[in-house]
Amino acid sequence: MLGAAIIVFREVLEAALIVGIVLAASIGARRRGFWISTGLAGGVVGAGIVALFAAEIAAAAAGIGQELLNAVILLLAVGMLGWHNIWMSRHGRELAATAREVGDAVISGARPLYVLAVVVGLAVLREGSETVLFLYGIAAGGSLSAGSLLTGGIIGLAGGVAVGAALYLGLLRIPTRRLFTVTSWMVLLLAAGMASQAAGYLVQADLLPPLGDAVWDTSTVLTEDSVLGKALHTLIGYVSRPDGIQILFYLATLSAIWLLTRLVGSPVKPRTMAASLSRGAATPLFVILLLGGLGASSAAHAQLRVRYPIVDYREVEIEHFGDITFDKPKSGLSNNQRYALEYGFGPLPNWFVELGHELTAPNGENITYDATEIESYLQLTPTGKYFGDLAMFAEYEHPLGRSDPKNFTFGPLAQTEFGEIAGFGALHTLNLLFTRTVGNNRTDATQLFTAWQSRLLINPLIQPGFEYYGQVNEIINPGKLADQQHRIGPVLVGLNNFAPYGKLKYEVGYLFGLTDATPRGTVRWRLEYEIPF
Amino acid sequence: MLRFALLTLALILVMTIGATAQEPAYTLVIKDHQFQPTEIEIPAGQKIALLVKNNDTTPEEFESTELRREKVVAGGEQITVYIGPLKPGKYEFFGDFNPTTARGHIIAK
Repeated sequence: MLGAAIIVFREVLEAALIVGIVLAASIGARRRGFWISTGLAGGVVGAGIVALFAAEIAAAAAGIGQELLNAVILLLAVGMLGWHNIWMSRHGRELAATAREVGDAVISGARPLYVLAVVVGLAVLREGSETVLFLYGIAAGGSLSAGSLLTGGIIGLAGGVAVGAALYLGLLRIPTRRLFTVTSWMVLLLAAGMASQAAGYLVQADLLPPLGDAVWDTSTVLTEDSVLGKALHTLIGYVSRPDGIQILFYLATLSAIWLLTRLVGSPVKPRTMAASLSRGAATPLFVILLLGGLGASSAAHAQLRVRYPIVDYREVEIEHFGDITFDKPKSGLSNNQRYALEYGFGPLPNWFVELGHELTAPNGENITYDATEIESYLQLTPTGKYFGDLAMFAEYEHPLGRSDPKNFTFGPLAQTEFGEIAGFGALHTLNLLFTRTVGNNRTDATQLFTAWQSRLLINPLIQPGFEYYGQVNEIINPGKLADQQHRIGPVLVGLNNFAPYGKLKYEVGYLFGLTDATPRGTVRWRLEYEIPF
Repeated sequence: MLRFALLTLALILVMTIGATAQEPAYTLVIKDHQFQPTEIEIPAGQKIALLVKNNDTTPEEFESTELRREKVVAGGEQITVYIGPLKPGKYEFFGDFNPTTARGHIIAK
């Protein structure tokens, strides 16, 4: 009986925690009870059906039906949770505002509660079907009397529900105006954990590479078998020995939902909006938006990265890079953020092409889509044949704003291995890139962007070095040095090979500004994953 | 945004295609809520396919926290679980529905 109680408790716990969070996140919404109970009931019925067809599901899709079902359920729940957060980021502030003025009862009925009902249903379905199978197994095996089985099941169920209820009641103690912030964070972590679980199922089904078995091991500290471990597994996606791809899914979900809530969320801070509206004039709001827009479009701010001339033939790659600047708060040079995502592939031994998206957040304002880029790398010399390797780089950048000029960039990329320090070879890379504007509002200026990196080849994983970046907006008339942008600083580069699945490369650096026009500090990073084909 | 999603999906697909290959297979039988054999030796650093046959009439769940695997196997049915590539070591597995009797481990060498 106790055995049955423990197993049922473990299965119920996960669903109960999810229901607890969802109940708290939907507090004050009309017809909440109806939607959540519908989700629960649907989940119970679904669990029965899944248990009944367990053998058929397992045999489906060449034996990976169970994993696919679990992964699909989890990813669906991730989508729903993400959607909930995005919706809340747009309307949550209005909700909190109305709640304060008119009382909780009026909180809009337009909230997509069915989204949360589906999450509840899916959670119950997944955990419930295992409980049903387990109880059926004991009942059919006849090792326990029906009475003690039932008692055990009820004790386990009650225990699980009690933990979920405790979480819910604990969340209720948070003041309403903060509650949605807390629940949004919990939902975000819940979604990220589910995505990493889904990745685990897809690895089990052999549909995804693990990208590193047990990247770290904290099982001596806390295993998922313990109640606390299991609870954390559900709440924040704790895994004591995660696969690399689980970490990747976790981080990707976390950043995707976070980024989307920032992108979709209301563009002005609530206090500014409330203040300007109460004065009956929205003018300050427009001024803020206008200034923000100007900041984004003026003087193409070159991507702080060194480009390498050697083409990765027969490789597909996905790459993320970005930078954030630091300076005095009101200088306009502070907290300029850039995030880019690029996809590339090398169809020819000497040609590599990339498609990129760039997001920017000038002065820490909301992140907006800035531009789409197409890049081409043409390698001119066979790798390693001469003293150095040389390639011609060309890029077309298409900004989102119609009035912004389009940019065309081209120039040589050179690299050579030369000299040594303490027995380690050194690799030097130089980029000289010229940018011309075309289309609307183009200028006759030619911008020159110089990038130089020298690094020590200690081992593949750790290669320290330094970098220099210079930007002159008009080479014919470069102006005062103080108006140009020059940066220099340390960098760490490395890669890890997860053969045969691919290579993960990283770069992280800090740059000191050398002139008045340059931010005092810039952090830049780059992550790249390459898969051979 | 849609283009983002599509491209990412396409990349995942490409990765997927790269990961299919023939793995060595091992068999594990469940009888009377016990695993036979209780110890399976596999090569380290290589992916294997583990065939779990349930000769009982009741369902069981093959589970391993250390391997991060869990899969239900209905009564009288069989399932395949892909494992590894593993670092050398001992990895416990158990039947989640009969955790006291159904126990075993994999040794990766």
